[in-house]
Amino acid sequence: MENDEEQDVAGDLLVILRHGPHGSSWLREGLDAALVAAAFGRRVTLLFMGEGVTALVPGQQRGPLGQKGTAPTLEMLEMYDIDSLLVEAEALSRLGLDGDELMLSPRRVEAAALPGLTACHSLVLTF
Amino acid sequence: MLLHILNRSPATSEVYRQALAAMGPDDRLLLIEDGVQGALKGLVGRFGDVRGRLLALEEDLAARGLEPLCDDSVVRVDVEGFVTLTEEARKTVSWF
Amino acid sequence: MATTEIYRYLHLTNKRVALDAEGYLINLEEWSTDIAEAIAKEEGLELTDEHWEIIRVLRDFYQRFEQAPAMRPLVKAVARALGEEKGRSIHLMRLFPGSPAKLAARIAGLPKPTNCL
Repeated sequence: MENDEEQDVAGDLLVILRHGPHGSSWLREGLDAALVAAAFGRRVTLLFMGEGVTALVPGQQRGPLGQKGTAPTLEMLEMYDIDSLLVEAEALSRLGLDGDELMLSPRRVEAAALPGLTACHSLVLTF
Repeated sequence: MLLHILNRSPATSEVYRQALAAMGPDDRLLLIEDGVQGALKGLVGRFGDVRGRLLALEEDLAARGLEPLCDDSVVRVDVEGFVTLTEEARKTVSWF
Repeated sequence: MATTEIYRYLHLTNKRVALDAEGYLINLEEWSTDIAEAIAKEEGLELTDEHWEIIRVLRDFYQRFEQAPAMRPLVKAVARALGEEKGRSIHLMRLFPGSPAKLAARIAGLPKPTNCL
């Protein structure tokens, strides 16, 4: 562990979410994996990376055909005690998003801290 | 050492950047499937200072006829070597 | 997951209600307190006020999050809504024996919880 920040979030499972809502089932599947792990008492950290940061944009709705979105599931995370939520700072600036306006107030992670994150979790799953 | 596995070509997908961003200084990156295109001389530069820790799966290179075009800096491993690598690695992380 | 395949019907005095293979409602909008009582009866349960307050917590949970909770979040939701004394798995086990998250979801007209065994 290189610094306190990593120590702080070190847990059993790191789920990296790299897809936005609605376009594919990747985001939902990643969240499901996180929920199952949490339901069994695992400490889970979520990292929203790349396009995945758009999952945190406020004001999401159902799809045009009434498909469920992922925003209610994100709101539910705290009920599963998933409170370690991180967002890739570089992705925010690349997409021109304001980190302060995102759902769930995730913590920003600078590029230099990413390798430490993958190293300090016993399992890393990418979605 | 963590083994990162990439199966997308850097010519069509930005995913390789995510793999690079998440890699530690001792981690290795194995190119498989369409990812082996990254071993081409014209694309290998995208992997920056990972050279030397960049590997490509021989079977996937061969299937695409890319073996002769593979950059010298890329370490070739066959499927058996792939298995050994996953055993050596503390864990593997897939990028797709 | 809510399924769409009708496996059997639950017969009430003036209607029949479609259920899936695991006994969950096919059409969640159809739920009523009568249906809850009929499902509970199938399970050998008589619904008391204590059951109903859990059922309300579950329905609120689903309304808000669009998913049925596994056991841990159910316990947490009950604790928040009804107090720590009731937000304990032993209380839920007593009211909904066996697998409380699944059984209570079935009675409350929710889909089967996806994140539990």
